[in-house]
Amino acid sequence: MLGAPKGRYIMSLKTSRRDFLSAGLMVPVAGAASNFGLLQSPDKRPAKAADGPAKLDYRVLGSTGVRVTTVGFGCMITSDPSVIERAADVGINYFDTARGYQHGNNERMVGAALGARRKQLILSTKSDSGNKASLLKDLETSLAELKTDYVDIWYLHGKDKPTEIRDDMIEAQQIARQQGKIRFAGMSTHALPLMAEWTVQKRAFDVVLTVCNFAIDKSMDDAIAAVAKTGTGVVGMKVMAGGFRDIKPSNPLYSKLQRDGAMLAALKWVLKRPDMHTTIPSMTDMDQLDENLRAMAEPYSAGDDKILSAHLEQIRPLYCRFCGECDGACAKGLPVADMLRILTYADGYRQFALARERFQELPVQHTSVRCGDCAECTVQCPHGVQVAERLTRAQELFA
Amino acid sequence: MKSFLLFWISLVAAAAAGAQDYLTCSFVPGWEQSGAKRSFTPDNLFDYRDGAAEGYLIFSFARMQGIDCKSGGVTLAIDVSDMTDADSAYGMFAANRDTSQPIAKIGMGGQLLSQSLLFAKGRYFVEIVETEGGIDQTTVLQSFADKMLPLLEGRDTPPEALQWFPPENLISERLVPESVLGMKILKRGYVAKYARGQAFVVIEDSPGAAADTMQKLRARFGAAITPTMLGDEGFSAKVQYLDGICVFRKGRYVAGYANLPDASQAAARSAQLFARLP
Repeated sequence: MLGAPKGRYIMSLKTSRRDFLSAGLMVPVAGAASNFGLLQSPDKRPAKAADGPAKLDYRVLGSTGVRVTTVGFGCMITSDPSVIERAADVGINYFDTARGYQHGNNERMVGAALGARRKQLILSTKSDSGNKASLLKDLETSLAELKTDYVDIWYLHGKDKPTEIRDDMIEAQQIARQQGKIRFAGMSTHALPLMAEWTVQKRAFDVVLTVCNFAIDKSMDDAIAAVAKTGTGVVGMKVMAGGFRDIKPSNPLYSKLQRDGAMLAALKWVLKRPDMHTTIPSMTDMDQLDENLRAMAEPYSAGDDKILSAHLEQIRPLYCRFCGECDGACAKGLPVADMLRILTYADGYRQFALARERFQELPVQHTSVRCGDCAECTVQCPHGVQVAERLTRAQELFA
Repeated sequence: MKSFLLFWISLVAAAAAGAQDYLTCSFVPGWEQSGAKRSFTPDNLFDYRDGAAEGYLIFSFARMQGIDCKSGGVTLAIDVSDMTDADSAYGMFAANRDTSQPIAKIGMGGQLLSQSLLFAKGRYFVEIVETEGGIDQTTVLQSFADKMLPLLEGRDTPPEALQWFPPENLISERLVPESVLGMKILKRGYVAKYARGQAFVVIEDSPGAAADTMQKLRARFGAAITPTMLGDEGFSAKVQYLDGICVFRKGRYVAGYANLPDASQAAARSAQLFARLP
């Protein structure tokens, strides 16, 4: 299993995990944005020079060789095709949908919006079917709805355990590729730390679509790096972090996050990683599109770091950085870091069964401890994680 | 493993206060439950729907209860989602229905296809789907719906707003939960797609709030607009992506037409919409 974090590791927004060299090329696209800004809000800064076109940042999607804009377009909740049309016009070249989104309506809308531009763009869709026949049937439907004779990337959708991927599903992708109906095989997952080792060994996928945001832990960080190192293309989703996901425009916090630039900062944070080849933030309107375009035109700054640090403060009580400072600190001898990691499987990656299995594998002298029996917790996390509360939750869920 | 799953499901079910535990496969003779019932909230819907969960959350999803029913080699996945209010439930239905197929009178509105039945009633959005896609299941699907409908509380008439759109050449109507016409200024509203162009109605809290929205729209479109004598205030324009557009205010309603060949056509169609608004 990759990502069993041991030893010291402090996640810092200010100090990047690796040497985040500038991997992208800032490429102005002549003519891509005629009339760009016509629908601009006067208080928004567009992602373009005063008189020039939008600035686009490209990377190569692993060994596929495909050149993609670092900001792609997640079409899932887009309701008006004009936003997709404009994104394509200004130069975003990667668009993502799935067979299951809105019972197929999303693919239909995306196909209509891209229209004649389709062959100049990179288009991906997904199927969550569980066998070869259903997958191939889904692909035929996807091609019809998207009004195309091929998709560039076809993902097995939402696979969070290696056992969820059978050989005949990989065979379906191979058949589709031989028939020219897909260019590349992909797999999407919310639990890359649980999938990375298998993915690296199996080498069945050209592209992996994974969660990546400023709130990820070391296990996810390592998993992304390990997969990218093999030449697999890596696409980031949930790039605004889970903390933003449920905040809707009607919520005052939504405006605050936008005003503060938190969403833009979160996207820029992901783009710092050279092993993250592109991203698919959801966009519902022109304003979000304009803001996301800025992520390609502006570098991650100290100001962005400050914004995200402030947001991390809000989730600090839940968020273990796996720095190892707590090792040996528990009066009852609990392996605190291991237990918090196990809890992350459940709360972070939604793998409750796996989390319980891992918990039950701990020695009985650990699984039988109840933190509520201690008058005071001896573990003081230097990063503010409320250790006793988190361990109590693990004991309630798994013991 | 199985006992843990049951334990977890019971925990989630307990947390989902108010979830109605009425689902049973015995609604239709010959059908038996397969596996445990499932229950999801906004926090864990991703476990079940993966990325598609966002499409539920944007429509005010509160909780879901589901069950798989089996007969012979056929499995039906039945999921009932509480969408908080009837408008959101209908909106969810409209976003998920096949717009090339007709709407049936099932609850507020439904769509019965050979392998699936979707409908909304009250604040509930119901999906019954034959998971592997085999022979025609319309009779069975309808039978399940017939048993479930009386158990679901709430309205069985579509949102009043749908009646406001002129019916000629109307293809489909839906609730757009945020950013109508792709503009954040138009927060939430109904959109009707026509053979040519689309109409929209955004309902603001007050005439003053609607006037503020109009002001923001004028600022956004800038010099492209021409004032139009319609309602309390209005304008028309020809702009990229929305083509010919006309927007007017009638009390707290901000409405109009877009994506018509020119602004004058948008204004003419808007006059028809104006006449139908309350």
